Amino acid sequence: MELYQKSAVELSAMLRRKDCSAREILSSVYARIDGAEDRVGAYVTLTREKAFEQADAVDAKIAAGEQLHPLAGIPVGVKDNICTKGVATTCSSRMLENFVPPYNATVVERLMQAGMVMTGKLNMDEFAMGSSCETSYFKKTHNPRDLSRVPGGSSGGSAAAVASGEAVVALGSDTGGSIRQPAAYCGVVGLKPTYGTVSRYGLVAFASSLDQIGPMARTVTDTAMLYGVLCGHDRMDATSVLREYPSFTSGLDGNVAGLRIGVPREYFSAGVDASVKEKVQEALSLLERNGAVIREISLPNTDGALAAYYILACAEASSNLARFDGVKYGYRAKDYTSLNDMYEKTRSEGFGDEVKRRILLGTFVLSSGYYDAYYKKAKLFQKKLSAEFEEAFADCDVIATPTAPNTAFRIGENVDDPLKMYASDVCTVTVNIASLPAISVPCGVDAAGLPVGLQLIGSRYSEQTLLRAAFGYETLVGGFDGVAALS
Amino acid sequence: MKIDIRHIAKLSKIRIEDQEIPKFEKDMERIIGMVEQLPDISGMDLSPNPADAMQLREDVAVSDKYTRNELLANAPQVQAGCIVVPKTVE
Amino acid sequence: MKYETIVGLEVHAELSTDSKIYCDCKNAFGMEVNTQVCPICMGMPGTLPTLNKKVVEYAVKMGHALGCTINTVSKQDRKNYFYPDLPKAYQISQSDIPLCENGSLTILVDGVEKTIGVTRIHIEEDAGKLLHDDSFAGSLVDLNRCGVPLIEIVSEPDMRSSADAKAYLETIREILMYLGISDCKMQEGSIRCDINVSVRKEGDTQFGTRVEMKNVNSFSGAVRAIEYEAQRQIEVLEAGGTISQETRRWDDAQGKNFLLRSKEDAHDYRYFPEPDLRTIVISPEEVARLKDELPELPNKKLARYVTELGLSQKDAALIVENLDKSMLFDETVALGLCQPKNLSNWILGDISKYMNETSRSILDTPLTPKRLGSLIQSIEQGKISNASGKIVFDAILHEDKDPETVIQEKRMAQVSDADALTQIAQQVLQANEKSVTDYKNGKTNALGFLVGQCMKLSKGQANPAMMKEIITALLQQ
Repeated sequence: MELYQKSAVELSAMLRRKDCSAREILSSVYARIDGAEDRVGAYVTLTREKAFEQADAVDAKIAAGEQLHPLAGIPVGVKDNICTKGVATTCSSRMLENFVPPYNATVVERLMQAGMVMTGKLNMDEFAMGSSCETSYFKKTHNPRDLSRVPGGSSGGSAAAVASGEAVVALGSDTGGSIRQPAAYCGVVGLKPTYGTVSRYGLVAFASSLDQIGPMARTVTDTAMLYGVLCGHDRMDATSVLREYPSFTSGLDGNVAGLRIGVPREYFSAGVDASVKEKVQEALSLLERNGAVIREISLPNTDGALAAYYILACAEASSNLARFDGVKYGYRAKDYTSLNDMYEKTRSEGFGDEVKRRILLGTFVLSSGYYDAYYKKAKLFQKKLSAEFEEAFADCDVIATPTAPNTAFRIGENVDDPLKMYASDVCTVTVNIASLPAISVPCGVDAAGLPVGLQLIGSRYSEQTLLRAAFGYETLVGGFDGVAALS
Repeated sequence: MKIDIRHIAKLSKIRIEDQEIPKFEKDMERIIGMVEQLPDISGMDLSPNPADAMQLREDVAVSDKYTRNELLANAPQVQAGCIVVPKTVE
Repeated sequence: MKYETIVGLEVHAELSTDSKIYCDCKNAFGMEVNTQVCPICMGMPGTLPTLNKKVVEYAVKMGHALGCTINTVSKQDRKNYFYPDLPKAYQISQSDIPLCENGSLTILVDGVEKTIGVTRIHIEEDAGKLLHDDSFAGSLVDLNRCGVPLIEIVSEPDMRSSADAKAYLETIREILMYLGISDCKMQEGSIRCDINVSVRKEGDTQFGTRVEMKNVNSFSGAVRAIEYEAQRQIEVLEAGGTISQETRRWDDAQGKNFLLRSKEDAHDYRYFPEPDLRTIVISPEEVARLKDELPELPNKKLARYVTELGLSQKDAALIVENLDKSMLFDETVALGLCQPKNLSNWILGDISKYMNETSRSILDTPLTPKRLGSLIQSIEQGKISNASGKIVFDAILHEDKDPETVIQEKRMAQVSDADALTQIAQQVLQANEKSVTDYKNGKTNALGFLVGQCMKLSKGQANPAMMKEIITALLQQ
């Protein structure tokens, strides 16, 4: 087994025992990148030189006998909507093709403090708008489990890098399922944390009230460890919550006995592929046989969630993306006759169609005369849905659903049908609307051999419970598939 | 529902060429059709939640965090320490 | 046909905090372009705002000063529009729940008190500046002012003339200065206003259509702008036209306004709650504490000066309108050394003159309230003459000495001893027999000459009033 195929936990132990160096780990990951990247296309930018400097710094500290964070020396990929000082942060958009931030996102500072080694910046749907990575201005990312298929999105590059071994772990961001859906499609683990637990400072905003950065990895334990690095209060983010966090790895005992799992019937409706339902049911049966208590529940407001999500997310996006006007940074059109002409040309040439569609929708729902009918109604729905979840959590510890209604589709299959694309978010958007945490873990493959995702949703700040349940499942299935073979 | 795509595009400062209008119009109308499925909610209001209070920042100024060159390095056009834009006329 | 002018004002005042409203950049005026900025106030991708506590406190203080209800739970909203001086392409402001609302302000116009309703006070961020130069094809953007904290004070349409508006603006400025929350420097743009004007026929109860005027940069400009706009509207109506709801731009140099945008082109700001900030919650204790911290406000002070201290309305107003003068006045009165009326004369006379000539704040000079009080006391007690008082005043300012020291050093103590004065008078009468004869022959102006000689002999130290009395008595013997 090559170093790049190992988990962060294994590599951390090896570093500690001096069985390998951080440089050797990084070399192995970079060798994999060099061998696989032309088929996978996970990265927008590679930061090879900086990465080796960081790895060498970790090795020097180990040699000096310094106490290091367990994740020190572990290669991590970062989604390209998370600002990195001195390294281009493009959001996979022509608009930010040459944007080099003079600051780090808070999460990047945290990775650096832990001594993690950044491999590069990962491809995504443009400005995180999409569910397939196909709206990236730069490249299509291929699903390492089946290269003819999409990796999901918007954190498709992150999921693909982790699944292919081009990174040991990665950061994604999740506004409506952008960590969990690609995790499901690529057969890896992805955690969307409770809103406010991970700083958004330096995350290029799509929908501020829904966006959350989270960890992606091949094992639950690696996910838990990385989440432990990311979470915590940040005074630079006014929406960051002040609270104490437990150790997320210490409670992982593999025991699911007594775990109360709610299964909402609305998430198993007609729109969900039969094979996906089957795999999720199998996973639930396995958990039940091992002592978990399964109870069917109802979340009747699920149906409106997709509508509310697109209203809220697009409304905020229309405002968040207004700053890309060709003035202070980013793309500016070449020829223009006036200020307004410069604005319109810059934004028309700099943004792709999906981004434009969402800006238009968001502008429309906020425009004079329509605010109450759309935005306000969606905000009310959000309150209602949150209350509904809260009630449900009175009787269960976690809620289990499919992560996505389907498995990875073929590249190009849905690009011309925005609504069909939006439908792949149907199981995940509720979690963002209600500010909840949720994790997606692989639960087998469909007839075509494509991974299916099991989503576990928790109440606010219940990441520890979620990670325990996910680890319990991982233990029961004898571990998840490791790095994809890319055959 | 019919949407005045030109008006919305103007508000968004996005130019949509004439030949693209029908496509955007159709996409938008379908999306609006979808979002209109949102049910009516009664018995709730949207007044700000005092339990969601934020911590305010102390009024302490910090200077020289960045150089002007660093901050203007991404600007498309700079002159005399300023960002250049097409002439604005009130 | 007589018309009535209806005016409502939106005053924007920059707050004099140390840091900006949403980032820790310095809130400073007049610095080199684009040096007081950071990724947050430049609106760089991924950056987030954090609200400055002082801004909330200052706004609440203003709310208290204007008798507003303070909303202990409020929020912020985004106002979306594109312009190069607005880096995020939205301004963080407050829309439906301002920090303060439902207040009022009493103004004095031609000796008559009027109460003007204050609809609301909210907090928001300032935009940057665009610099234009005819020699250059483009415009230059300086973002230093981005994120400077503002309060916007919105009045009810309760003013009926440009004089009302001027008094309102001046009163608002006085209060801001008294609270110490704004520099109020018009020339630096730290107070600006938008003006809503409508007219109606006298006797009508319905308001006419209002027109908003922007770009008014001085109080005198506000007067001109209101008068111009009211006249413009009257002319339109008299010619049988109608007023359309629009925004016009005031050009003070030309003394005219120009259409900026019609109702059809009005901005659609697409306000919605700012998702990057959570609820602003101020505890009732905090609200009460800020109220307790309010200084005596100008209108209260004015009333006290007139009714308790016996100043004329005019003098009291002149002292109150200047924070330095009123502080010096209050502190000196508190020492109880001199009469408030005499003190007021000094402050409005020599001290104002000195302040104007040197453009210094009187609070930064060696003239302490104690020195000023004892200087005036010495005059009141007849120890020194008024003329000597002026010399002592100069010496205090230029030599940083106590008045007692100056009086002693310059031997200015006035001679008020009757025996000593009689001695001087007798000497003068003996030496000027001709004048004595003239006086006795009815040439009364000889008296002035004789008193003058006495003063000369005493080197100016004789108490002139007593001197005159004694000479007169001796001559009549």
